[in-house]
Parts: sequence; structure tokens; C-alpha cells
Amino acid sequence: MSRIVKVEDLHRTYILGKVEVPALRGLSFEVTKGEFVSITGPSGCGKSTLMHLIGCLDHPDSGTVYLDDINVSKLNDNQLAEIRNKKIGFVFQTFNLLPRLSAIENVELPLIYGFFTPRQMKEKSMAVLEKVGLAHRAEHRPPEMSGGERQRVAIARALVVEPSIILADEPTGNLDSKSSEEIMAIFQGLNNEGATIIMVTHEHDIANCTKRNINLKDGQVLADQPVKQVCLPADRS
Amino acid sequence: MTFWEAITMAWKDIMRAKMRSFLTMLGVIIGIFSVISLVTLGEGMKGFMYEQIDKFGTGPTYMEVHGGKEGQLAAMATVKMTLSDAKAIEDRCPSLELVDPRNIQSGKITYLDKSYTSPFISGCSPALMEMMNWGVSQGRFLSDVDVLGRKKVVVLGQDLARKLFGGFPAIGEKVRINGSKFLVIGLFKKKGSIMGVNMDEYVAIPVTAAEDVFDTDKLAEIGAVARSIELVPQAVAEIKTVMAERHGKEDIRVDTMENSMAIMDTIMSALTAIVTGIAAISLLVGGIGIMNIMLVAVNERVREIGVRKAIGAKKRDILVQFLTESVIISLLGGVIGISSGVGLASFIMVIIGMPLVVSFWAILLATFVATFVGVVSGVYPAMRAAALDPVEALRYE
Repeated sequence: MSRIVKVEDLHRTYILGKVEVPALRGLSFEVTKGEFVSITGPSGCGKSTLMHLIGCLDHPDSGTVYLDDINVSKLNDNQLAEIRNKKIGFVFQTFNLLPRLSAIENVELPLIYGFFTPRQMKEKSMAVLEKVGLAHRAEHRPPEMSGGERQRVAIARALVVEPSIILADEPTGNLDSKSSEEIMAIFQGLNNEGATIIMVTHEHDIANCTKRNINLKDGQVLADQPVKQVCLPADRS
Repeated sequence: MTFWEAITMAWKDIMRAKMRSFLTMLGVIIGIFSVISLVTLGEGMKGFMYEQIDKFGTGPTYMEVHGGKEGQLAAMATVKMTLSDAKAIEDRCPSLELVDPRNIQSGKITYLDKSYTSPFISGCSPALMEMMNWGVSQGRFLSDVDVLGRKKVVVLGQDLARKLFGGFPAIGEKVRINGSKFLVIGLFKKKGSIMGVNMDEYVAIPVTAAEDVFDTDKLAEIGAVARSIELVPQAVAEIKTVMAERHGKEDIRVDTMENSMAIMDTIMSALTAIVTGIAAISLLVGGIGIMNIMLVAVNERVREIGVRKAIGAKKRDILVQFLTESVIISLLGGVIGISSGVGLASFIMVIIGMPLVVSFWAILLATFVATFVGVVSGVYPAMRAAALDPVEALRYE
């Protein structure tokens, strides 16, 4: 199995005022293609920091991050932006859609920073919207949609660039249990089709929907073990 | 991100807050509007002046000798020029083709019970006819014999003749000018108004007769025409030499057509400079307004910038996005300013009946300036947006 993510001895310390707050203290693991990993742990354990580092939004103080065997810790801002654009699909807790744009415009957004014709952009975006079952809502704007629908648009936006990995940061944190299940069903479906997913969560139910769990504490790996996956019905009506 | 995508994106953002965008543009609109309308009015005025000078019929070889220094009003001059000065100029200035001494006064002209006060009763010579490209419609113009013989004869403008004689023939009738009887020998052709003076109320009598009836031999001016445009400067020098010799000092000035044009151009440039100053202040204020709004826009969209960066926008993409927006706002303000400026100027020109001259260069410059203001005022906010840290920006509430 090919390796998608490899992190090696990651250190990251924040300075809040005059106090140094170590967020990651020598963290290492690997993720191979097709895995569905949940990262859990108490608040302040470094989950978000880890996601930012894997997501190429931040630089580690020391240690290395490999994405598709590229050492991204050595890249400059422009190169990181390009990696984010081509290899990473982000899904956020707060959806982070642009409220002024329609669903399909939101999905097209990452493609704007690549090289696609308007026609290609439309076709790709429509295809992924269909995949998350929202083709009929393409022209609606986020404020006109439910939380679950918004998160599905966000997933479509992550998928549209055909990323190497999907990084989801508490994707169900702002959703009711029914919507959460829908979203998790979509992630499971994508994973079954071969997508690699890393998901930060603090809910056990959610972590149980994944295939492997990495438990963090104080910026270090406390446990890394396979999960007996609870499969959800792929109901996308 | 392509250029076109940046423009459509910026356009959508501007159109989402139409009122705010319009208010932001207002400074630029006012600045560009004032320059364009005044420059267009000025150009039209200049065109009108040229047209009038052309109508005057004298052409670029024409000049006038006045008493007094450069820039002094002719009427204020105490220097006395006489017929013998004019004669000397005519004899001793080889570069001149025609010389016309003029003894001009206002006076009362009477026929039976009708009288009319004319501001310009002009004692002149036969040369006037050739100089002014005019002509008589009936009878004849003054002759050398009339001048030499100090004959009391008069040529009248059409409007004046109608006022005095109604529909009856004027030639052969006698009118009184300041009490002296003059024989009407001719009527001028219709000429219309030039620079606000109705040429059809012109009264021409022999310059010698004017001396008698006005009781002064002081000339108001001496008109002259050089043999060619190239000889104008030489003719001016010749006139000055002759007059300096006769008066013992240089106490006259020669106003050439070129001079008049130059004076007009000076007035125009001064006007343009003032307007440009006002416009510059307005554009500065407008630019600060745009910068202010762009800073607000950046603050409002910190989260959006974070999202855009997370999904692959480079610093340059964010910079271009905000810069495009400020340039479009400013440029749109410029376009509105230009069209309303030209619109107002055209309206005024049509009302007062002057020719409309729209300066292509002024429009091009205004467009350039508007773009420049957009770039300058957008750079700082756009750079701030581009420099935002994606992690911080995504956390921003």
C-alpha cells in the first residue's frame, strides 16, 4: 500500500504572551492510501495543530511532514498553497462556505486557483455535487440550506480537486445527530471508493465510524489502534 | 486564477453592496467630473474664440498697435498716437502690406427724430475694407479722396441703417454725428456679432473727418497687416523702431493675433491648473476613501481569506483579488465622472451655442489617473489581506 502521509518527530510550540505552550511534542505516524483515520484526544492535546501541519497551513518547529512522499516542511508559501490546492481537501467544523456564493460557486472555488476552463469547472463541480446528493440545490446559497446540506457542499468542495487526502476537522461538531450520521455515511462511502480520510473528532460514536483511531495526549501519541467500524446505511435521500 | 476570473469575482463583490461601492467612488467621480467638464468647456471656449477670430476675417497676419506697455489696457494709455505716426509706419515698414489708423469714439448718430448712441464710431481709412474681409452691400466704401478731403461721409452697418431709416433707402440721406452732417455713401454687408459686439451697428467715417468731429487727433489704435506670416515678427520690430524714433522711447505695444492666442492659452492653462488642483485634492480624498473601504472589506473577509488560502489561493491571488476590486471601483468612478462631465459640458455648449470639442487626451488621462488611484489606494489593504496567516484567519470570528 502506498504511503500518503508520514509525520516524523513533529514539534510545535505556541507562544501565548510570555508562556510557551507546547502543542506537539515529538509525534510520529504514517497513513497509507485508503485508510480512514480518526484522531481523538482531550482539548489542547494538539489535534488541530496536527491537522494544520498535515494540511500545509503551518510549519513545524522541528520534524518533517511527508505528503505523497514530498517533504512539505521544506516548501515555501507558494509551493504549500499549490499542495493545498492539488492534494488536500479540507472539511471544517463550521463549513466555511462563502455565504455570497451559490453552492456550485463554492464548489468551484478551489478550481479557480488551478488551471481549468469555466466549462471544466462547471462539469467537475456538478459531478461532485451529484455525488453528495445536492445537484438539485446547486444554485442555492448556503444561508438557504440546512447544516447537513452545507457540510455536504463543503465535502463536494473538498472532493472537486480529486485530493490525495481529505482532512476533516470535527465535521459533525455543528450538526444534529441525524445530519451527523448522513455526513459520516458520505465519508464511509468515499472511503469505500478508495479515498483516504483523516478526521479529528472528540465524539466516540464518530470515531467508531472510522477504521483506525489515533489517540493523542499532551502532543504525543497515546494509542494507535484499529477500530471495529460501525457501518452506516448509505442513505442519501 | 485568470485575469477574467479576478474581474468577475471583484465585480460581483462590488455589485453586492451597490450603495457602499457608489459612495466609495464618489470622491473619484467628483474629481474626474470637475476636470473633464471644465476641460471640455475650456476647449469649447477656445474653439469658439478661434471661430470668432476667423469670422473677424483678419487672419494671422493681422496686428494692432496700441499705446501703453504690454498688458496695459488700451483705454488707460495716455500715449498719443496720431495720423502722422500711422503715415510714418506705412512709409517706413516694408514688411507691412496695409496700415489703417483708427480714431474711435462713442457718439450720437441722428436722423430726423430718431437717434442712436453707438459705442464705436470709427474714423478709419480705405484699408479697413481689405483688412477685415468685409464688404459693402450697397453704395461704396470710403476712398482715399474722402480721407484726404476730410469729407463728411459715412458707411453704416445694416442693423443701424434699419433702426434709423426703417425700410427706406439710406444712401444719399444725411445723418448727424455729434451734430455734424454726414452723407450716407454705403452700407456694410451683414456680418453678425463678434465677441459680443454687433458688427452690424458699425459706423465708419474718414479718419480725418473723425479728427474734426471728435475734436481730437489721438488715434485709438493702428491696424496693420504683414505681407506674410513669416514677416509678422519683423513687422513688429519695424513698427517698434519707427515709433521709438518718433516718440523718443518705446511707449507702444503691438498686439498680434499670435499674441492674442497666446494670452488665451495662458488664461486656459491657469484655469486648467486651478481645476487640476481641485481635482487632485478630490482624487486624494477619493483614494483615501477607497483605501478605507478596502481595509474594512479585508477585515470583513478575514475568514473568507483563510478559506481561500486553505483551498489553495496563493498570496498573489489574494493580492490580485483585492487590488482588482479597488481598481474597478476607482475606474468605474472615473468612467461615471468622465461621462457625466462630458454630458454636462455638452449640455452647456448646446445651450450657449458653442462648438463641442471633447478632448481625447483628457479622457485617456482621466482613465489612467482613476486606475492609478485605484492601484495606489488598493495596494496597502490588498497586501494586508495577502499577508494574513491562514490558520489565524480561519480561527477569526
